[in-house]
Amino acid sequence: MVDKIIIDGLAFSLPLFAMAIGGIFSEKSGITMLALEGIQGFGAFCGAVAFAYLQPVISGGTQVIIYPVLFAAMLGGMIFALLHAYMSIRFRLNQVISGVVVNILAMSLTIFLTGLINESLTGESSNKIWLGAAPRFSVPGISKIPVIGAIFRDLYIFAPFIVFFAVISVILLYRTRFGLRLRACGENPESVEAAGCSVKRIRYFALAICGLLTGLGGMNFAFTFSANFSPTIYMGYGYLAIAALICGNWDIRRTFLTCLIFGFARSGGYQLILKLGMSSDVSDLLLMIPYVLTLLLLLFFSRHNHPPSALGSDYEYDRR
Amino acid sequence: MKQEMKAKRLPRLRSSRLLIPLVSVVSTFAVLILVFVVIGRNPLMAIYSFFQGSGLGLKPSYSKSSSMLTDFLSYLGILSPMLLGSLGVVVGLRGGLFNIGVSGQMLTAGFLATILVGYSKLPPPVSIPLVLLIGLAAGAILGAVIGWLKYRFNVHEVVSSIMFNYIVSFLTGYFIKTKYVDPIIRSSKQVAANAKLQVIFQTSSGLKLVVPIGIFIAIGMAFLIRFYLERMAGGFEIRMVGFNREGAAYAGVPIRNVMIRTMLISGALAGLAGVTYYLGYYSTIVPKDLPSLGYDAIAVALLGNLGPVSCILSSALITIFQKGAVYMSASTGVVREIASLVTGILLLFSSLGVSMRDRSRHYD
Repeated sequence: MVDKIIIDGLAFSLPLFAMAIGGIFSEKSGITMLALEGIQGFGAFCGAVAFAYLQPVISGGTQVIIYPVLFAAMLGGMIFALLHAYMSIRFRLNQVISGVVVNILAMSLTIFLTGLINESLTGESSNKIWLGAAPRFSVPGISKIPVIGAIFRDLYIFAPFIVFFAVISVILLYRTRFGLRLRACGENPESVEAAGCSVKRIRYFALAICGLLTGLGGMNFAFTFSANFSPTIYMGYGYLAIAALICGNWDIRRTFLTCLIFGFARSGGYQLILKLGMSSDVSDLLLMIPYVLTLLLLLFFSRHNHPPSALGSDYEYDRR
Repeated sequence: MKQEMKAKRLPRLRSSRLLIPLVSVVSTFAVLILVFVVIGRNPLMAIYSFFQGSGLGLKPSYSKSSSMLTDFLSYLGILSPMLLGSLGVVVGLRGGLFNIGVSGQMLTAGFLATILVGYSKLPPPVSIPLVLLIGLAAGAILGAVIGWLKYRFNVHEVVSSIMFNYIVSFLTGYFIKTKYVDPIIRSSKQVAANAKLQVIFQTSSGLKLVVPIGIFIAIGMAFLIRFYLERMAGGFEIRMVGFNREGAAYAGVPIRNVMIRTMLISGALAGLAGVTYYLGYYSTIVPKDLPSLGYDAIAVALLGNLGPVSCILSSALITIFQKGAVYMSASTGVVREIASLVTGILLLFSSLGVSMRDRSRHYD
């Protein structure tokens, strides 16, 4: 049972973590990111469309198709993240409003297009694009160790990608010149401009990275939690990721911990329900746990956190 | 400098209060026509069918108990929660707070009014004010909590209200499923006729005219909110805080009270929207289903330039798409989700318009 909690918990917290890293890149560069929900949905939609069109063409099953699908999802996420960037940098729209606009637009656009694509592919309009189960694997050797081995057992194919990107992100954000400038954009954009770099260009780059990571997370959610793309992808996980990064004080390493807490609280709750043999109505009540937990965590952490000081400001180099 | 020219190249608009919403609407219609042409439907027929479905154009045929007037009254029925919800968003945004939890506040108010009054046998003169009062109170409390969390714990209002949306949705879903379910329609039991916010007239020709009470409340509220925001000290404080929080604090405005009051009024309006939605238009609650109207209200508020009275016009427009989509879908065979797509595009254009207006003011 502990194994099961660890396996399911990781399956939930890793995609959440990917999205939270995306959010950190954006917010550290000074752009308020409430659009994660829409970006992950659009990314997942692009991946699902790629899957639907590639499946009859490429042989080799999900194992092979998954790579172009992931690529499409990340690209789709990037497109919508750049839309947010364009609205909040070029048009200097209030970034909170811009984020919500992106969310609503992504939701309506994907639902509408899903209907159209299904009509053209199968002849009947349905709001789901079927994906099937994602391939899983276990690391040979270590996965045999009791309890701890469960971390390496039945991993989704996405897990190594996310870990890889997470390591790259930590290095990029905290160990390179670009990362330093990116963080400076969120703290004191004038100093970046004084050093001869373009704040706007750095912010566009940050948003592009954010979109790539968030699209990856969204595709992962679509595969692992419903095995199809449908409007249920908009379950508020994007907002959970935002809450995770706020609790993690905009730091990638601490955010990983909060993501793990979310994941284990959720899988632990499920196992508890199974153990006690309660009805499915009660399990609905338990789905509430991550959201309640988020609120409680935010209560404790929001006051003592230090958000980037220029967060949400529309930087204009000639502003007086 | 080259960069300097670039920054000022965006169109500057003067006297843009009417121009910007107009441009947003026209460009949205252009996109809509394009979409219909691309998927191979007659765009003019399709757009006209939105109006037919809302009772603003004659349909080719009507059933015995309906006419253009009944369609129009039904349109007014769904217009009232839309207008009230958008007023909630307007009050929040004027005070610098973004109430995206309108859906959750609507659901809470609708659920409480349904279980407390909806299943009772109180006569209409008692039950209708009671329903409205419960709606106001439930929404106001939920809104005030969000405002308080923002002030006391610095929890971003968007994140906390979204969390409340999901919590409310699961919680009410659980209670509806276990206690108040109607096994046939799989949603909560029908509200009794005496608690519904409607006045029903039966004409001699067999027409059943359902007049929604909500529309009078909604339009009255629009003018009331305008009076409050523009002409009263409390509303002035809200606008001050929304314009510049530090400046308002320096001028001696009690920030905590104003923030909580902003969210309280915003939530109360959303709660009223909830009761007019669940007890005025529909009469059941589908478990775990947040009304998407709460998000459409944001589009209405932005399209209406954040003015309470102009929201009457913008909500009338967006409701045409939402309400007419069913008939449009039936007559042209296009999925009805196109209505939310139109709302989304309209939201995009109007928010860009709002930003442009702010900028043109900045440079003038």
